[in-house]
Amino acid sequence: MSDWILGSKSGEFAIKRYTIIRNVILVWMTLVLLGAFLLDIPRIVILEHTARNLYFHVPMWFTMMAAGIVSAYHSVRVLASGDPVRDVRASEAARLAIFFGILGLLTGMMWARFTWYLGTGLWWNFDPKQSMAAVQVLIYGGYFVLRSTIDDPRKRSRIAAVYNLFAFATLPFLLYVLPRQMESLHPGAEGNPAFSEITHPIMRVVFYPAVIGFIGLFWILYTQRVRERLLRKKLEYQPEM
Amino acid sequence: MIIHPIQDTLQGAAPDSIQASTSVPAQGADGLERVMLADDKLFVVLAVVLIIWAGIVFFIWRTDRRLRNLERTVGSGIPDETI
Repeated sequence: MSDWILGSKSGEFAIKRYTIIRNVILVWMTLVLLGAFLLDIPRIVILEHTARNLYFHVPMWFTMMAAGIVSAYHSVRVLASGDPVRDVRASEAARLAIFFGILGLLTGMMWARFTWYLGTGLWWNFDPKQSMAAVQVLIYGGYFVLRSTIDDPRKRSRIAAVYNLFAFATLPFLLYVLPRQMESLHPGAEGNPAFSEITHPIMRVVFYPAVIGFIGLFWILYTQRVRERLLRKKLEYQPEM
Repeated sequence: MIIHPIQDTLQGAAPDSIQASTSVPAQGADGLERVMLADDKLFVVLAVVLIIWAGIVFFIWRTDRRLRNLERTVGSGIPDETI
């Protein structure tokens, strides 16, 4: 196992590096939250204060994309090396891709219900982006269904890796390409730029750091879960402990 | 279930008996209240979000400590690769 360090010097360095990056991310996210509420934004009809959801809802999808990239990268490495640690990393990243995807769907439903769908009572309107995102979450769900059907760890890691590459291949199309070909509530529909000129510059000051912060949060949760899985793996190899 | 229509009652009559029987002091807010009530009480929401965030940060920190202690006991380390 390539990144399995037993009390070595580089292991001590790795934990220090992890702690530093983690603390930077947590402070960073706190500043993002402060900026998201404290910085004044122009009040627009229909949107009003919910425009601030840009800082929270949209980064969910960037984070899902990042998680998909990490997952696909490790799936490639699984196929290249057969390393079981790569399989752990690929599956935990995919799990968090689903997690952030579901959060993105729920926050989008909440946002749309009380702005554009006001008075209609609609929580789900089959907006193209909404539907495609739900399909993408289900495709990642299929990854775990597939995993649960194979008992042999080696076979499971390789077959799941191939499926995961398919799941990653559909991600940019379902999240970015197809919704833009259709009429949608989301900016970027019908070939418009995703960030319109009417978006106030102050919102970019919070939005981009929020994307980085949420991806950082994904990384913390992902690293914790990988460590937990590796500990369990280790204990399985030494049942007397 | 009675669903009350949404009304702006900032200037109008009190919406329920509790508010009708409570005198809300319009003047003399101290420094903290002046800050928290500004901008349609948005900062109250910020305070709530920060409390939740502090809880999540505490939990992440505790989980990391648990993992570290377990890794020491089992005699393993954190994965060398960051991503």
